[in-house]
Amino acid sequence: MTNKKTISIVLGLMCFALTLGICIQVRTVKSSNSTVSQNYEENNLRAEVLKYKEKYDNKYKELEKAENELEKERENSTKNNTELEKKESEIKEGNKIIGLAEVTGPGVIITLSDSKKDVNSVLNASSLLVHDVDVLSVINELKNAGAEAISINDQRLVPTSGIICGGNIIDINGEKVGAPFVIKAVGLPEQLSGLSRPGGYLQRLKEDSVGVELKKYNSITIPKYTGVISYKYSEVVD
Amino acid sequence: MKKNIKKGKITMTITLGIACFALVMVMSMQFKIVNETDITSIENMRETELRTELANWKTKYEETNQKYEETISKINEYKETKQSNEETSKLVEKELEQVNMSLGKNDIEGQGIEITIRETEKEEISRVTADDLIVIVNALRLSGAEAISINDERIINMTDIVDINETYIKINGQRILSPYVIKAIGDQSYLESGLIGNGGHVDEMKKIGQDVSIEKINKIKINKYNGEIKTKYME
Repeated sequence: MTNKKTISIVLGLMCFALTLGICIQVRTVKSSNSTVSQNYEENNLRAEVLKYKEKYDNKYKELEKAENELEKERENSTKNNTELEKKESEIKEGNKIIGLAEVTGPGVIITLSDSKKDVNSVLNASSLLVHDVDVLSVINELKNAGAEAISINDQRLVPTSGIICGGNIIDINGEKVGAPFVIKAVGLPEQLSGLSRPGGYLQRLKEDSVGVELKKYNSITIPKYTGVISYKYSEVVD
Repeated sequence: MKKNIKKGKITMTITLGIACFALVMVMSMQFKIVNETDITSIENMRETELRTELANWKTKYEETNQKYEETISKINEYKETKQSNEETSKLVEKELEQVNMSLGKNDIEGQGIEITIRETEKEEISRVTADDLIVIVNALRLSGAEAISINDERIINMTDIVDINETYIKINGQRILSPYVIKAIGDQSYLESGLIGNGGHVDEMKKIGQDVSIEKINKIKINKYNGEIKTKYME
């Protein structure tokens, strides 16, 4: 009699456990199903992103062609009139300053790289990395030293360029770039190289053991901005 | 007979034991899977990231497309007005105006925000530094600011903001003093959202006791750059 009772209790327990197991399984299947659909969604999104990137690339090539043509057309239309010719060259010059045209000139190239030191060997691991504030400060110092055009990993800085740091990637002009950061600047090399003076920001970065290198060049080329500067809210006041 | 019963009992116990063990194993495995699938939040994050990425490329494409169409229509206009100097002059003038807008050579107007930072007298609160202004300008640019000025010094592509002797700030080589009034033209709520909330620089400054306020203004005027913009080294 007691034997039977024990058996039924054991069986009951087993049944309970089984039911539980089944319940959990149903849940798992449900959630893994949703993961599958999520992955599907993600893949779709990824494909969509790539599609738009390609569309953008193609459109950008067309735009570049059209811009060259416009420049020629503008030159043609203005060449018989000195006053217009002057304005035409003002447009050209202006585009170089804003960053809508490639420029060449003497300058410096600064390379900032994350420290190779062991992360565990220092108290503040964050000091081993290059941050957006570091890049902002270096750029500000370059401008202070008279830099006329600046690019970071070939992303030209324009009046609307902002910089964000996200992990070990920095986002410039909406494009993601990773370390090492190669900052090119056109200007008087002797003056720009003053950035590595004692007490300057580059020196401080070096003390934090971030890799810093500054080299002078007789001629460097800085590419043009590959985006569009557009105005939606601004109006010129006469 | 007794021996047999005993043997049967032992077999049963062992069988039950194995069954229980197997069940427990399966269950713990399943719990692990359930736990793992709970990490979907990361996957959701990746999805939102992808969504912003997609939105980013979409706007870039649309902007480029718009610019392309504008350029094509400009080309056509030039072609059409080849004969008339007056018409051509108008076109060149229009293009020059757009360039000058980016250069900061025009006074401009539009909706935007005005941030006012007042230096406090209290000793224990650190002074407003050039870095504060640099970070705010960067945040405004990220939020799509079309034009920025600080105490009517227009922030152009070559503007530097520096601390002098840790006592005052120079922008474009001009000394500026508190209160610092930063004006920006762009979408008001975007501009504001880049400065407030978690990690927003205005809120960070407020946290350490600095006196900062943001005001939305429907028509804000930003003065042109006062100096001459000249370059010597680039070609």
